[in-house]
Amino acid sequence: MKRFLKKSSRELAIVGLILAMAVIFTLIQPRFMQSSTFIDIIEQATINSFLGIGMTLAIITGGIDLSVGSIMAVVVCVCGMASVGGMNKFAVILLGLAVGAVIGFLNGFLIAKMKLQPFVATLGTEEALRGAAFMITGGWPVLSIPKDFRNILNAPSAIGGIRNFVFVMLVAAVIYSFILHRTKAGTYIYAIGANEEAAKLSGVSTDWYKILAYLLCGVGAALAGMVMLARLGAGEPSAGSGYELDAIAAAAIGGTSMAGGKGTIWGTIVGAIMLSTLKVGLVVIGMDTFVQYVAIGSVIIFAAYFDTLQAGITKAISAARKH
Amino acid sequence: MSEIMVQFDHVTKEFPGVKALNDVSFSIKRGELHALVGENGAGKSTLLNVLHGVYVPSGGRIVIDDTHVEFHAPIDALRFGISKVHQEINVVDVLSVGQNIVLGAEPLKGPAIDFRKMYREVDGILEKLGCQFRAADPIRGLSVGELQMIAIAKAVYHKAKVISFDEPTASLSDKEIEILFEKIEELKAQGLTIIYVSHKLDEIFRLADRISVLRDGRYVDTFKASDISRDELIRNMVGRDVSNYAQRAKALCATDEVLLSVEGLCGEGFQNISFTLRRGEILGVSGLVGAKRTEIMRALFGADHKTAGTIRFKGEEAVIHSPKQALKIGIGLVSENRKTEGFVKYMSNRQNMTLAALPGFCRAGGVMKRPDIAKSFEEYAQKVRLNITNPDHLTENLSGGNQQKVILAKWLMTNVEVIIFDEPTKGVDVGAKQEIYALMEEFVAQGNAIIMVSSELTEVIGMSDRALVVRDGEISACLNREELREETLLKHAMPERSA
Repeated sequence: MKRFLKKSSRELAIVGLILAMAVIFTLIQPRFMQSSTFIDIIEQATINSFLGIGMTLAIITGGIDLSVGSIMAVVVCVCGMASVGGMNKFAVILLGLAVGAVIGFLNGFLIAKMKLQPFVATLGTEEALRGAAFMITGGWPVLSIPKDFRNILNAPSAIGGIRNFVFVMLVAAVIYSFILHRTKAGTYIYAIGANEEAAKLSGVSTDWYKILAYLLCGVGAALAGMVMLARLGAGEPSAGSGYELDAIAAAAIGGTSMAGGKGTIWGTIVGAIMLSTLKVGLVVIGMDTFVQYVAIGSVIIFAAYFDTLQAGITKAISAARKH
Repeated sequence: MSEIMVQFDHVTKEFPGVKALNDVSFSIKRGELHALVGENGAGKSTLLNVLHGVYVPSGGRIVIDDTHVEFHAPIDALRFGISKVHQEINVVDVLSVGQNIVLGAEPLKGPAIDFRKMYREVDGILEKLGCQFRAADPIRGLSVGELQMIAIAKAVYHKAKVISFDEPTASLSDKEIEILFEKIEELKAQGLTIIYVSHKLDEIFRLADRISVLRDGRYVDTFKASDISRDELIRNMVGRDVSNYAQRAKALCATDEVLLSVEGLCGEGFQNISFTLRRGEILGVSGLVGAKRTEIMRALFGADHKTAGTIRFKGEEAVIHSPKQALKIGIGLVSENRKTEGFVKYMSNRQNMTLAALPGFCRAGGVMKRPDIAKSFEEYAQKVRLNITNPDHLTENLSGGNQQKVILAKWLMTNVEVIIFDEPTKGVDVGAKQEIYALMEEFVAQGNAIIMVSSELTEVIGMSDRALVVRDGEISACLNREELREETLLKHAMPERSA
């Protein structure tokens, strides 16, 4: 228990912060305290969580993936058209996952084998994939997605009416977390980010594990795309534009180091929940839209500063104990 | 104006666990060329770094030109007139020659750089130095010798009183060396004080007025260059009581069975490296810093590219293009730089220790068998006598000696039969040193073999069954245990002539 508290101090601090925000929002607007608000928050956090858990892997290797928003768009368009065209609903999902995996592999290949800087490589694929999404649909949105496909992800579940995709997200998070902490691939991904040279000299095929991280990032983005398609019942090539920044913010709030080697899946999830709590809460209390952006930005900066603050406090406490 | 230009007064510099400079006191006269000699790790570079404000001394003081100085950064020293010309010249290669020379002290006209004045002044200096290039030329494409001239021009521009040269001829051609020596003589004639650090004794006898010797971070003595012979100087450089800790505690156990043989290995900076390694043997590899010993070992291990050569392991030809292949064959490498190439930061001792052997601890699909890992960790932590047995303790927070034990355990777990140790006891305190030596002996006693690259002569002499000496990327000698003496090793390590 003590070990859990120590290991998860970052995640628990964020959860504390979320609760504090909830209290403040409720004091301002008592309407905040109802189950529909919470369902709203969780559902809104889902897409960002799917993007965020993949992004976390990419960032842990010391890289980044700016193309996740565009991967979403390509998946939305491909799956949308396949589904409208009458493809089996499960085949559509497999197709979407495959598209995400292939694009993720490509990103990883550019970075690990062709030695491009992750920022530049994925900036390039972001543009190119956005264009590809428009080409796939000819620029038009894909409308009237069949209900049976949508229901797989979007139907309300037996548990409190929470939609299925929230549980899919939880399962994905458990799997990603398992990969990171319980498999050698996860250990290598951390090692690559913290000290690639040492990993290589220990006999690790660093290139292939980097590629794996980007591949899993692509799969996360594909899931996000399919959830979006299921929720809206329509897809358009401009979907997911700018979403990569929210995913990076969720990871950063959750304690993932942009320098690599550090970060957890659950940190990113609570980071995503915190962002959506803020967004929903600010709407509920009726804050001006423009001011909302300022508030969200400030919170991201505060969360990042939190590390420095925490280190300072720990140091001060241990210094005080010595005297 | 006193006769003394620089006076080191009981200067001490400590790093965690190591005293790099220990109570060093001597003085350098105004206008002389003062050479500084000593083995690798004697403290020459640390002393220069203290003089130039890179390090702040932990004790003692420095008096320059009758002023007690306390530099906190290189720029402080530069402003005080202390300049340096080192082996590797740092330039900003997107700036012009002139901009590089005036960097940090640009002539201004209002808020803007006065380029016309800068070019005029710098061109004047370059012309005096006899350089072919001018201030407006780009840095890109200049040779190492020319970059060195830029460093000298920079010193002149900053009105240096003292210039230090650290191995300035290391990468120069014969012709460039002649030009450099001419310039150094000219600077001396203009009244500048020059500190000259080099391994090349011929250079030192040619240029120096006086020579100071450092050994193990301590000051030994200062000699007039005309009063001392080359042999006597070498004796002063190495003449310590051979310390008793780097010695084989067990009987030698080398067999006749050749485990690893290397023939004609070539790569960047080294060529034609051939040697054999037998079971039960510790093969020392001696040489000066920069002789390419590390590069040879990295190429052998598959971490760097090799251009030619055959490696045989147990008589069979081995293809090693990556550390992964080396590991598969049974070769491990304990790198000299623990922090950048040894352990992974943020990772616990357990994670670092099992990093190389991890595939062996996995079920299908790469899922780790955690109880096995925990068991192995305990077994090997005990084997290498790691004091901190908490598996969750981060390796980065350990002392150098304990970090080394974690890295050693990492290789032991993989059951490799050859471990290459690059500077096995660098930054390791005396107590842990002994333990590392004992572990090395245990390892070879089990029928394995070790290649030990070391710059500490006592270590090479004390631990090796045989030792290779590497000079300028080639093996200059292969000595048996009874032939190992400091003078002999140094003689083979030092370049013959000043070329």
